[in-house]
Amino acid sequence: MSQATLSHKRPLGLTILITAFIVVWVILAAFPFFWTVWGSFKVEPDFFSRESWWNAIFGVYTQRQNDGSAFTGSGYYGAWVTREFWRAVGNTAIVTVSVTVISLTLGTLGGYALARSGQRYAFWILILALVFRAMPHITLVSGYLLPFFQLNIWGVLPTSIIVLVAINQPFTLWMLHSFFLSIPKDLDESAMVDGCSRFEAFRRVIIPVMWPGVVTTGLFSFLLAYNDFAVTSMLLSADNQTMVPKISSFLGSVQEQGNVMFAVAAVVSATVPLFILVLFFQRQIVSGLTAGAVKG
Amino acid sequence: MAQIRLKNVSKRWNNFVGVDNFNLDIADQEFLVLLGPSGCGKTTTMRMIAGLEEITEGEIWIGDRLVNKLEPKDRDISMVFQSYGLYPNMTVYENIRFPLKVRKVPQEQHHERVMAASKMVELDDFLQRRPAALSGGQRQRVALARAIVREPNAFLMDEPLSNLDAKLRVSTRAQIKNLHHTLKRTTIYVTHDQIEAMTLADRVVVMNKGLVQQVGTPMEIYDRPANTFVASFIGSPAMNLIQGSIEGGVFTASGIRIEGLTSVAKGPVTLGFRAEDATLADSNGQIEAPIYTVELLGEATMLSMRVAGELVSIKVGKDYRAEIGDMARVAIPAAACHLFDHSTGARIA
Repeated sequence: MSQATLSHKRPLGLTILITAFIVVWVILAAFPFFWTVWGSFKVEPDFFSRESWWNAIFGVYTQRQNDGSAFTGSGYYGAWVTREFWRAVGNTAIVTVSVTVISLTLGTLGGYALARSGQRYAFWILILALVFRAMPHITLVSGYLLPFFQLNIWGVLPTSIIVLVAINQPFTLWMLHSFFLSIPKDLDESAMVDGCSRFEAFRRVIIPVMWPGVVTTGLFSFLLAYNDFAVTSMLLSADNQTMVPKISSFLGSVQEQGNVMFAVAAVVSATVPLFILVLFFQRQIVSGLTAGAVKG
Repeated sequence: MAQIRLKNVSKRWNNFVGVDNFNLDIADQEFLVLLGPSGCGKTTTMRMIAGLEEITEGEIWIGDRLVNKLEPKDRDISMVFQSYGLYPNMTVYENIRFPLKVRKVPQEQHHERVMAASKMVELDDFLQRRPAALSGGQRQRVALARAIVREPNAFLMDEPLSNLDAKLRVSTRAQIKNLHHTLKRTTIYVTHDQIEAMTLADRVVVMNKGLVQQVGTPMEIYDRPANTFVASFIGSPAMNLIQGSIEGGVFTASGIRIEGLTSVAKGPVTLGFRAEDATLADSNGQIEAPIYTVELLGEATMLSMRVAGELVSIKVGKDYRAEIGDMARVAIPAAACHLFDHSTGARIA
């Protein structure tokens, strides 16, 4: 209602300008992704053509190599079957789920304790956490690379999980701490008077109310683990690689001939789950980001 | 069976004294009101009884158990919070049922007890709603129902009416009084509103700055305030207090002279009297001063006049009319006067 009257009052020229700006912006933002999706069904001489970039759209070489069809799944076949990308997908699943679960478990307990503690040291713990958060991720890796070799725990998933949790924890602690602060203390207290212990009040009353905050924080933890390159590329052996370093390895190195189309196909494969995830949790994320929704 | 005893209870945060040396025996089934301005320690006292605040010093007994070290859940009390403290993710029904559930009351009793409690506070029609869909008064009744469903040793209520509008406050107040009569449980009620204290309490504890000022029935506190703080806190309008001096039973200050008081006191004192104890006089009034304001209250008219630097309120008949600046004579019977020590404020007579 009010929106209709607002746009009614707006001069026509301004409306056209705003619409045009939004259209251009959406195209600019979405184009790289659609380009990659489109290109992933082409062969390399098309998508990375030196003759004409129109080849990437019409797929001249793809048709020639592929009995006339302008689309090919060869990039996907090569990545998933030949180079066993599914293994990387499995590893990513293990790493991201573990990192998210561990971060959230420690983060909710710690964040709650810090939010409800009246002690001064709670503040200093949070400040300390902020310092560790500000540190570049690679410092955690480079310093511990040698000890990891000596302890013979280099190259396996649990080591990466622990390092990623360490990197992620300060952030989850901060985020959950501020979510807990937004929940009135009266809620814990009435639960405790009603017959709960401190932990039961946390589990039965506070966490259900906190759900949007937990989901939002969990999503950020998930994304950190999912997108990480610095830690996983340094700490995982070739067999245990997660998706992102695996994609990087498709590009090839000095020793190895890469296949860039495998990388393109793998990139598209790695992006799809993120879309599904955000679509699925969008309601909780929005209410989590606007925090006020937590209040009764 | 559930008398509550506080023995030398104190609460300190570093150097700040929240409650100082609180001693009180609360009888079984008594309705006790803790009254005082904000920051006087009344809520802290209640929270110590509930177990939500640690006791720095002293002992609290509920029944025959020393509860200092007991968790809130083990004290068998229930509490109504100022901001209600309802669980926003549960329906009204589940909110009321929650204490039964966590205390592992047999499942088959739940429904019956929830229904009985909700009926008592007239919530039957709202059981499937969530707290967000209720008005303030309804939320407060959910909080009450949740407190009574379990039939605990004692109820603690922390300013339960202060978030309600004036009309609802009166009806909910009546409901609380009636519930106390029906359930016959020891109730401790914290408020800063002296009318709530007067109407609800069997006994009132007036507190200020962490110290108990006076303990007594509402009428004792109204009729014989122990000091100037209590005198100025109880009653609406508050008791008129005038600085002056007394000599041979005669109190004098500029614009006022009262004879026939106690001859024990001597020197500078504070004299107090209530607005409704003063009457208009044709001649020989104790006060003669110009009228400062005239306020029509409906059932009476309130005059104020400036005497010895203080604004003094006088309650007169509903038909009285006068202009600001008119001279008025007021008679104050000596028997209605209270005398307080000039420096400590403590009652002399």
